[in-house]
Amino acid sequence: MSILEVRALTKSFGSLVALDRVDLKLAEGEILGIIGPNGAGKSTLFNLIAGLERPSAGAVYYRGAAISGLTTDAVCRLGITKTFQIPQLFPRMSVLENVFVAGLYGKGASLGPARYQAETWLEFVGLADKAAAAAETLSLPERRRLDLARVLATDARVLLLDENMAGLNQREVAASVALLRQVRDRGRSLMVIEHIMRAIADLADRVLVLNYGEKIAEGRPRDVMRDPAVIKAYLGEAYT
Amino acid sequence: MRFLSLGPGEVAALLLLLLLLLFPAAAGAYQIRLATVIFMWAALAGSWNLLAGYAGAVDLGPVVYYGVGAFATAALMLRAHLPFLVSLVLAGGVAMVIAYAVGTPTLRLRGAYFAIGTLALAESAKQLALAWDRLTGIPLTGGSAGVSLPLSAGYLLFYYVMLALASLVTAAALWLGRSKFGYGLRAIGENDRLAEASGVNIHRLKRRVYVGSALLIAWTGGTAGYWLSYINASDFFGAGLTFQMVVMVLLGGLGTPFGPPLGALFLTLAAEILGTRFVYHYLIAIGVLIVAVSLFMPAGLAGVGRLLRSRRAGVQP
Repeated sequence: MSILEVRALTKSFGSLVALDRVDLKLAEGEILGIIGPNGAGKSTLFNLIAGLERPSAGAVYYRGAAISGLTTDAVCRLGITKTFQIPQLFPRMSVLENVFVAGLYGKGASLGPARYQAETWLEFVGLADKAAAAAETLSLPERRRLDLARVLATDARVLLLDENMAGLNQREVAASVALLRQVRDRGRSLMVIEHIMRAIADLADRVLVLNYGEKIAEGRPRDVMRDPAVIKAYLGEAYT
Repeated sequence: MRFLSLGPGEVAALLLLLLLLLFPAAAGAYQIRLATVIFMWAALAGSWNLLAGYAGAVDLGPVVYYGVGAFATAALMLRAHLPFLVSLVLAGGVAMVIAYAVGTPTLRLRGAYFAIGTLALAESAKQLALAWDRLTGIPLTGGSAGVSLPLSAGYLLFYYVMLALASLVTAAALWLGRSKFGYGLRAIGENDRLAEASGVNIHRLKRRVYVGSALLIAWTGGTAGYWLSYINASDFFGAGLTFQMVVMVLLGGLGTPFGPPLGALFLTLAAEILGTRFVYHYLIAIGVLIVAVSLFMPAGLAGVGRLLRSRRAGVQP
């Protein structure tokens, strides 16, 4: 059984249909890439799944149970959470406390275990030496890694990563791809919005392409990237 | 044991509390009265700080619970003939019920909208209190004439009740600094959307601290009403009380446990000393003091230690 299923999910803002009857399934332990041009509805899809916005129609199922209508914090405690396109943090808390809070409330851990787990996750994403620094002093690549440590600390099983590699250089992207593979090996299922095609091709088991709110293709990365409709809508002729 | 490990500030606070418990034995009536005023403001400012300083919600209507506490305590004493402390405890329950009902919708407002909403609410509460007897036919607030309470049993009772309230509020702030609940509130205060996405039930946590803060403010209001032995709606629901709480917290240090008592001490003493010397112009001097503190100590009086340490280390704060 798939861990996450989306059926005919639709979101309209007035007359604009941001997401139009999208279906998808995410298998346990899978990495699903979401690509498409700006405004295709990728972030809207994530916001609907994570409970930040309510769908106009359609439903989201987590392990077979409908979750649409739950608040963001309830969805997170249930097991689905997202990172933000612009990395978010608790600016005046320490880096460790940022992750610690997610363990306290997302996972429901008590103070001692939450602190220990926060240290472990900071070690995992390579931020252990910054643990005591104020979060607002971090650079952009560090903020992205902190965001990742935070969602891992919530103990959510489904992670929605919204352009977690944007603004990273080539070396950092490669490191990020390796890190996300390790995340999957730790029992997480991932949906990844990304514009960096090389990273998606390396990382994703399957790719889903959105255009104007509609799903126009779905399949293995190499097949999808050869799909004429995808090339026309997103990749451009020069890519082939 | 984690909860028994006390920091230097907490040890100093406990020693100070011990001294304050013995203070009436060595002081005259005037000093005891002045200390009681300081404790009262420390309790009020500290209660406001629990919500604003930790959860980042700027409430401009805390005075509602001050008034509710005063009138509910008075009504229970006068109509039900209950002893003062029993009335006070019950009045706190009344305030909690009202705070729960009011907080559930209003705490969903964010930032400036919450501040404006609560300010409007406090003004409405004042008008409602003034018109209550006429509207409902149930004598409670005495309209604009107010309510007189029996002259009370000496000033020592009030000294100790206000000291207990100020200590309770300060202890609550210290607890917030190290508890799971406190970390949740700070997360909400720093970035509520992210807190929610990290699993924090932001509405429930904010409502809990709002109701708790209302309880402490109501107890302080109930005590103040009996102490002054005369209460009226214009004074006990007046926005001036709210702004004095806000100014004391900002002077002392927002979001710090010892900031509000420091702010209360500073402003009460400044008003007392300047007020007796410059009867007509002391408010100007207090205004200048407030501006000076906020310019030169942006983190408040409680942040002075940190400010000096970073100056000595040659770092700009």
